[in-house]
Amino acid sequence: MSQVSTLTERNSDQRVMLAALFTEFLKVSLCSFGGGLVWARRSVVDQRHWMSEHEFADTLSLIQFLPGPNVIGIAVCVGAKLRGAAGALAALSGFVVIPCAMGFALGALYLQSAKLPVVQNILGGVSAVAAGLLIATGVKLLMPHLNRPVAVLFAALAFAGIVFTKAPLLVVLLGLAPLSIAVAAVESGRAQ
Amino acid sequence: MSSHSAPVTLAIHLALLSCISFGGFPSVLPDVHNFVTANGWVTDQEFTNFFALAQAVPGPNMILLMSFIGWKVGGVPGAIVSAIATFAPACAMYFAAHQLSDRFRDAAWQIIVRRGLVPLTIGLVIASGTVMARAGDAKWQGVALTIATAGLMIRTRINPLWILAGGGAFGGLGLL
Repeated sequence: MSQVSTLTERNSDQRVMLAALFTEFLKVSLCSFGGGLVWARRSVVDQRHWMSEHEFADTLSLIQFLPGPNVIGIAVCVGAKLRGAAGALAALSGFVVIPCAMGFALGALYLQSAKLPVVQNILGGVSAVAAGLLIATGVKLLMPHLNRPVAVLFAALAFAGIVFTKAPLLVVLLGLAPLSIAVAAVESGRAQ
Repeated sequence: MSSHSAPVTLAIHLALLSCISFGGFPSVLPDVHNFVTANGWVTDQEFTNFFALAQAVPGPNMILLMSFIGWKVGGVPGAIVSAIATFAPACAMYFAAHQLSDRFRDAAWQIIVRRGLVPLTIGLVIASGTVMARAGDAKWQGVALTIATAGLMIRTRINPLWILAGGGAFGGLGLL
């Protein structure tokens, strides 16, 4: 894939500015109604080309197995990949500091005012769209893997585990991960 | 418990939860709820309001939710301490994990583990969108809006903010 090779070139030739990391993740954070993943993928993969679709999915799986607020993990990992500890700090501050202060001020205002029904209705519409955006982000991440039926199968199993069985996330992950890794190991054994 | 130590107690508890919140902070929310209501810091109703509000404003939702709780417990300093306790420990772990995985990036076992885990991660992303849609969309109009949004996002490069604004307008006009 040509995108991957230009990525490595860019990273060695031209270092991403810390300010760019800060402002990009500030943007991601301020846009992320109902969850930052949609915006993080759009910024990092589609617009800035800081990571390929594959690298982004890799990063996401690493984060999925660690505790904590996951979207912040993307900021930390993208920053760390491009500029080490300083980059992680720049991306993290962009993501957290200003948006939290603004959200906090807005929230405190709202909590002290009356709650209008029209606001509730607007929030309902926004949340339906947010759900659609998240589904589309997942589908886009799946695209590069469509040539591997096993990958699609395991994606479907994880989806079903959450949506149809209502099992806790950790149970679904720990149940499927060993199987999925074993299949990948068999595949790569055959390839050699 | 003297009131000035309450924010500290809350922050320590949140930092501990941050270290065990596998699958994101929502997985430990029930625990946060029990802890703060049992201590009499926040009522059930307040907790629910904080949650809805944190979802509605952009930005890191869970950090915001914890800062609302911290605000109730110890004013603005309480809010800041709670927010930091929520993300700082996890961020240190993210950074360490990234450095480790980067060092062994091309090791055969890591490539295999990644190939195994990535499909699961993707399935989970689509699942959370679906779960969110089911929580919000009681009626067919909502479901249609969710599906239309997903289609637009996959097919076009339209800025999602426009779709969000459209969805808000639909809802505001009482069409959902």
